[in-house]
Amino acid sequence: MKQSLMDIICCPLDKQELELDATETEGDEEVISGTLTCTECGETYPIEDGIPNLLPPDMRDVEA
Amino acid sequence: MTDLADRRDAETEVYQPAEDSHLLADAAVTDLRNTSTETPPTDDASLALEVGTGSGYVAETVADETGLRVLGSDLNPHACRQARERGVEAVRADLLDPFRDDAFDAVLFNPPYLPTDPDDERDDWMEVALSGGEDGRKVIEPFLEAVGRALAPDGAVYLLVSSLTGVEEVVALAEREGFSAVALRDESFPFETLTVLKLLR
Repeated sequence: MKQSLMDIICCPLDKQELELDATETEGDEEVISGTLTCTECGETYPIEDGIPNLLPPDMRDVEA
Repeated sequence: MTDLADRRDAETEVYQPAEDSHLLADAAVTDLRNTSTETPPTDDASLALEVGTGSGYVAETVADETGLRVLGSDLNPHACRQARERGVEAVRADLLDPFRDDAFDAVLFNPPYLPTDPDDERDDWMEVALSGGEDGRKVIEPFLEAVGRALAPDGAVYLLVSSLTGVEEVVALAEREGFSAVALRDESFPFETLTVLKLLR
């Protein structure tokens, strides 16, 4: 995901801002892996293979 | 081995572009081009979202043809991966849940719309991509309830609807959420007529 996505996304539960912790990046803009943490409720969301998983925790493990 | 597995994955777990995808992409591109010539260009690049992007085809086409930045969201992790491989910025999400208020100038959605007998529901990703529950509107209804929040006040929704789903019923649901609907395009097929609705407030 691009860093600039941070201005567009929010916590799916309470719509508050997220904080990015990137563990792997590509160039200046692309985040490959890391976590997004809600600044209000503290829920964390993974970023894997460049894709943020912003499903609420109870839906996250749905892998049919 | 991996390639073959990936390809099988792509064919069975992610909805691939079909007549409905082409119709939605084409109608949205034409309309967005016309709209953008009416309003003076701004420095803010317009932002669009395709909900349920699947393979990413519609999002990619609209981005290529209009120059808009088009994100794609999907519940299905396989779809998110395919869309990203196409160059679409993919977000795994349930409808518009993780997007900010007033974020988008346009939202596109080719929803799962086929009416499905609950006894025939299969538990796989293709079912999720196609089935609209008993009346075909199981996903359209929560989408229409949610889309207004993430849409900019003068933004537009491009929604594909089938005669199987009931165009009048969908228009009524949209009106209940404060939208007025215009049919941009109709196309008839042997078992259904597909319509692209544009919803505005």
